[in-house]
Amino acid sequence: MFAYSLISGILFGIFFGFMALGLNLIFGVMEMVNLAHGDFVVLGGYVGITALNSWHINPLVSLIFALLLFFVVGLGLFFPLVPRLSHSRDPEMLSLILFFGLSQVLEALMEIKFGVNPESLPLSVFGNSSWHFLGQSYQISWVVSALISLLMILLTYVFLYYTPMGRAVRAVMGNREEARATGLPVKRTSAIIFAIGIALAAMSGVLSPLMIGSIDPTSGLGLTTIAFAIVVIGSLGNPLGSVLGGLVYGISLMLMQTYLSSWSVLVPYLLLLIIVLVRPSGLLGKGVRHV
Amino acid sequence: MSHEPVLAFEDIVKKFGTFRALDKVSATLKAGEILGLVGPNGSGKTTLINVISGLYNPDAGKILFQGLDITRWPMHKRARVGINRTFQIPKPFKSLSITENVALAYHYGSKPAMNPRQALDFVGLSHAASQLALQLNSTQQKLLDLARALAAGPKILLIDELAAGLNHQELKVIADHVQLLAQQGIALIVVEHHLGFVNQLTNRVIVMNAGKEIFQGSLDQAAQDPVVSAVYLGTGS
Repeated sequence: MFAYSLISGILFGIFFGFMALGLNLIFGVMEMVNLAHGDFVVLGGYVGITALNSWHINPLVSLIFALLLFFVVGLGLFFPLVPRLSHSRDPEMLSLILFFGLSQVLEALMEIKFGVNPESLPLSVFGNSSWHFLGQSYQISWVVSALISLLMILLTYVFLYYTPMGRAVRAVMGNREEARATGLPVKRTSAIIFAIGIALAAMSGVLSPLMIGSIDPTSGLGLTTIAFAIVVIGSLGNPLGSVLGGLVYGISLMLMQTYLSSWSVLVPYLLLLIIVLVRPSGLLGKGVRHV
Repeated sequence: MSHEPVLAFEDIVKKFGTFRALDKVSATLKAGEILGLVGPNGSGKTTLINVISGLYNPDAGKILFQGLDITRWPMHKRARVGINRTFQIPKPFKSLSITENVALAYHYGSKPAMNPRQALDFVGLSHAASQLALQLNSTQQKLLDLARALAAGPKILLIDELAAGLNHQELKVIADHVQLLAQQGIALIVVEHHLGFVNQLTNRVIVMNAGKEIFQGSLDQAAQDPVVSAVYLGTGS
């Protein structure tokens, strides 16, 4: 049972690390916590479900569609909302209020469009076979979701560390003032990262029904909490921290579900409390980041 | 070298609430000229640099760069046309290597410019080019900040308290380097507490106090000026 919990914990951890990646990118560049993050994950889930049910489009294709659609949505939201926040007296506090409001609006719109009943994807959407490893069997949908998540994490890493745009993003994450003095288009960079962050959230959302069972319009808040716990565990503002935070969360969740299942819903809150008390800068953090 | 000013700022006012951090400050600067900006703490020297570089918008006044009104230009746009600066407390991009820090400035800056290798050679940091910026001590961070500004191809270079923390030998080297930049046609404004350092660079200074320009002229004349003496020594009228 331990091996099963551990391996499935790693699979879930990679997925949850991917799910939290967008939240961390946006915080890293703009120092704003997108409290509507989970709602974009849920919206991505509805894209995958609707595409399959209505047009028989495989979620693998929906991933690309979600990426493009929500990149545009992210850009569309950034320009009317974020620059105004940046010019305010307390942008970080205002951003919490604004994104909380956005979350409520998205939740209400999803209730109108999709109703309140939970919806899901069939676990056989990527085939009926299982993955056998160390004498245990794992859902193929879990394995495919984890592999796609891993691929997207690697692509994000390559983007950040091996492209000129990625270097600019890391510079803006380092110091916005110095970045502007260096001639970097900080606003444009922020807009692109905001859009990428939203798009990654929606992509992970396409996979989310396969990993968390089902989604409904109210799932966003819980997913935002999990994503927030993951980025705090890893390190706020450090994209690689999301991966580590995701693994810690995924493995803890699976071990808890195996050995103390009724307590498993407490996992993100417990981890959040422990990390804030023991290492407030996160596992990969070098200093406390202020929100 | 052109006799037209490369930079002119006229009647610059900057307020923070009711406090006037800058109160109608004006000056012009030609290519290859070095202007020292001196004055006690809180006199508005760094605020003026911040306004010229675009970090702050002025509440009144006008800034002209090569005759072009840039008063409302954003900071990154000014950096791209050659108005570059260093910071009193530099904050290099710590997760980037030293070369990457300078390469970004070269990529986004104006041309012609020193390439990253030349800029790092100039400040004596080439030996550490592949290190992460977080490994540098505070003096090296200042030098990296200068290299970053140089790689951006400055036509105007605003240097904010570069001398703080440097020893006598390092000051001499930096002063020679700054003069070399001026000889290449770069106009420089040097904010400095260290009057000996300013004296090594230029004899043209603006003395500021409480946001106002109280003297403009040579450093020698400033030393004889009763108002300047009063500000520095608490004597005079």
